[in-house]
Amino acid sequence: MAKPQTVDLDPAEPYRAAGARIVRMRAQELFAHADGVLDTTDIERVHDMRVATRRLRAVLEIFAPCFPANEFKGVLREVKALADALGERRDPDVHVAALERFAAAVTAADRPGVARLIAEERERQAAGNAELAAALERAGERGLHERLLALADQAEAPA
Amino acid sequence: MKARKVAGLEPDGTLADNAERIVRERLDELCAFMPTAGDPSEVEALHDMRIAAKRLRYVLELTAPCFGSYARTATRHVRDLQDLLGEIHDCDEQIPAVRAAAARLIGEDATALARLAEGEDDADPALLRRVPHRREHAGLAALETHLRGRRAVLFARFAHAWSELERKGFSARLEYAVTERPEP
Repeated sequence: MAKPQTVDLDPAEPYRAAGARIVRMRAQELFAHADGVLDTTDIERVHDMRVATRRLRAVLEIFAPCFPANEFKGVLREVKALADALGERRDPDVHVAALERFAAAVTAADRPGVARLIAEERERQAAGNAELAAALERAGERGLHERLLALADQAEAPA
Repeated sequence: MKARKVAGLEPDGTLADNAERIVRERLDELCAFMPTAGDPSEVEALHDMRIAAKRLRYVLELTAPCFGSYARTATRHVRDLQDLLGEIHDCDEQIPAVRAAAARLIGEDATALARLAEGEDDADPALLRRVPHRREHAGLAALETHLRGRRAVLFARFAHAWSELERKGFSARLEYAVTERPEP
């Protein structure tokens, strides 16, 4: 799993300044993970991007009062939508891996039923990948990265 | 589960003072699920407790350096707790999915068997050898058995982990740690 950048924190730093700084950092991390995320042969990429969306979403929620409410709601909704699409792709990845481990541990007589479930999860994985591709395209079209950076700028702007 | 709103947050206040309020609220939210989530049949409470643990974990992972040293220890405890609750949740999601898959195959095979016995006075059990999914039922039953057994093992670990946290004064120590500020 990709480790997040370390955030140097000053407990006395103004809450809004810390929020702006950390949102920029986490937004940059999120979009840095987009490369190759649709490659179903490397399931760690989608995992890393999903973890990055969780970290970004957590930071947005922690610093929510620092952002203008309307812009914040829209951006948070879109980050959630991206996280959901990553989840739709990631969940079957995890299930397939777990079912393959189970199949390897049981007798041959028990494998056909498990193989059926694996095949169904592979179908879900393909559907999840198509959904993720569309979600990434939407995020690009709507300028999600740029809007996150603008949100951070607004947090720092004098009230 | 919607997170509780944190009262008194001040964008112009310090990071540590605001983070302290958030940690207190999220800690309270987490602890409020016990003792309900201590009942293994309380699937929803366990799921919500996992979400509460996740929220507390993320705020602690980010802001623990603002507080006394126990905040870092608490971060590890909460991460372990969330991971364990996540594993239990995976079982709770997979068990009904496996049951549903098994029920679907049984339904299809029952229909196939009835068709094979068409025109007969009764359905001969030997016809089971000719139904399409006859080789798949055993694996699904084995999988459900494993998931249920694993869930019980994981739940016992969770119950033990929580009682250890209580014994070690996790909640009180974290509440104290968030009032502390590191030396500049």
